[in-house]
Amino acid sequence: MEFVGSASTQSCITQKRGRRVYGDDRDFKSKNLTAERRRREKLSNRLLTLRSLVPIITNMNKATIVEDAITYIEKLQMTVKVLSDQLLEMESSSEESERPRNDEINAAEEMKKHGIEEKVEVTNVDGCKLWIRIISEKKRSRITKFLEAMASHGFELSDTNVTTFKGATLISSCLNGVYSYKIEAEQVKELLQEIIKSI
Amino acid sequence: MYEETGCFDPNSMAEGGDDGISQSVKHHKEDDAAVSAIELELQKHLAFNVEDTHTQSISINSNTHSIHDPANQNHQILPPYEHSHSNWDSGVVSADHMGGFDQNENDQSQQSFINTDISSSFAQSQTPPLLNLLQFPRCTTSSMLPPNSSISFTNPDHHFPVPPPTSTDVLYDPLFHLNLPPQPQPPLFRELFQSIPHGYSFPASASRAAANSLFGEIGDERDATGAFYEDGDVGVHLDNRVLEFSRDLGCIGRRRETAGKPTKHFATERQRREQLNGKFKALKDLVPNPTKNDRASVVGDAIEYIKELLRTVNELKLLVEKKRCVRERRKRHRTEDDDEGMKPLVDPADQSYNSSLRSSWLQRKSKDTEVDVRIIDDEVTIKLVQRKKIDCLLFVSRVLDELQLDLHHVAGGHIGDYYSFLFNTKIYEGSSVYAGSIANKLIEVMDKQYAAVPPTSCAY
Repeated sequence: MEFVGSASTQSCITQKRGRRVYGDDRDFKSKNLTAERRRREKLSNRLLTLRSLVPIITNMNKATIVEDAITYIEKLQMTVKVLSDQLLEMESSSEESERPRNDEINAAEEMKKHGIEEKVEVTNVDGCKLWIRIISEKKRSRITKFLEAMASHGFELSDTNVTTFKGATLISSCLNGVYSYKIEAEQVKELLQEIIKSI
Repeated sequence: MYEETGCFDPNSMAEGGDDGISQSVKHHKEDDAAVSAIELELQKHLAFNVEDTHTQSISINSNTHSIHDPANQNHQILPPYEHSHSNWDSGVVSADHMGGFDQNENDQSQQSFINTDISSSFAQSQTPPLLNLLQFPRCTTSSMLPPNSSISFTNPDHHFPVPPPTSTDVLYDPLFHLNLPPQPQPPLFRELFQSIPHGYSFPASASRAAANSLFGEIGDERDATGAFYEDGDVGVHLDNRVLEFSRDLGCIGRRRETAGKPTKHFATERQRREQLNGKFKALKDLVPNPTKNDRASVVGDAIEYIKELLRTVNELKLLVEKKRCVRERRKRHRTEDDDEGMKPLVDPADQSYNSSLRSSWLQRKSKDTEVDVRIIDDEVTIKLVQRKKIDCLLFVSRVLDELQLDLHHVAGGHIGDYYSFLFNTKIYEGSSVYAGSIANKLIEVMDKQYAAVPPTSCAY
């Protein structure tokens, strides 16, 4: 569509210029000469930039620039594929690393060192809305499990923020109950504490 | 075929300046077997009177038996001697001089003998043996040297005009039968190879080169030289190859489905326009996130995409290198009798790769999701904007766990019609994700979820 459009505008332009050439009206110009000129310059500049990026160029006209760019992009895509396959292959044949365990041990120690305590706070702000704040020890994929637990209990979290500092994680969120009955803050607090303990 | 070995009697070798010749021969001591074979041949042909003719004759005879077949070709091997150059001009001599075997003159006989060699070979087929003489480099006994590459540096030493390169009917590789180990290519050839654009391959070995050669690598040299020889066409110049190649590149370009004609002859201006539009469309189809459809935007998108691909390639290279280094280090660790305290020294090469900062950035858009991934060293920042209302946090978090990314910070929420989130994560050590994989995985998961959710979802 657009190409047809541009082709047609091109042909229109030639027609308009042609009309001018035919001596219709000496002052008859393209309707928006400056805009058209700017458009062409924009395209020309961008083509120059494209040419500067492509290392192998044959001729220097519009068609071959585009052609060479296509070739180059395909080449790069193939390289990316080859490299990523290589990486996958290397990954599958390499051994497991023992690092994650160390991180977890460090996290607990750091928390104790800095005196951060595990805490759960729940505040009832509206009928079904609760603001919660959880400070807990940072463990691998704990956040995911927490979110899953929330979803399975029918809580929806909106406006969630998670921060990590010195081995501790702070989750603050707005909890909305899916079911429209009123939720007691205390119940939720106990529930959350249980959840945190279990994950 | 001109047979020398039959009628040649080593005992009738004339005395003479054998020292000069043998010394020049002794220069090429790289491959003893070949050199000794050449030496013997030379001594035989140049009518030397070898010191120990007795032992030599025996060895010569045995050698001539073993290399009887290539002997004819070996006749043409004559390293360009400094003192015999002047005689090339009077090269074409009739075969009458063949009888000059038992002459006892020194240089004269040698030179005339050389001439007879040349002339006799000339008589057979005009240009190729001469070509081979030209080809033989001064310094190596490389058999894998393609003929054309050495013309450029041996030619100035010869005073006769280079015969036009014609295809020969005989595959001439004088030393080929000696099964020399492939010598390292002389520098000139390497330069010629490097002048060919990197990463592009000869059309014949396109797929192989893609697998083997990345940017900066010369690629499969052996295969390429093999390709030269498989031609059976000794006279083909590298220049011709380059011309063919550039022509072929054009052909590759034109062979694309969008470009119509193999040779650009436009019947009409309209066809030219249509071809050009087709190319722009092809460019647009390559780019992952096409925005507008007009030419300038297509080109702009292509520019961004090329830059992104270059970044990805660099990132992947770095990752592969790192993985390789880690592997090597682990192997070294295991092979040494090590205690934990002893760490193998890091090579400077390792360090240079590991110290370079890994940085990468790309954006991906799908119908409802926009993902922006930035990686600096081991920290990944992901920006996610989604249009529909599903609980994306959970899914994203799952994906990040799969990709071995450690969530450090999440911020975001509900903004009008959109969910917008910012994730700050760290890559667990040992994982080798790259920006493209993260983005693609996220988009994939998001789109899957959108597909799973029915169009009319309940508003919360």
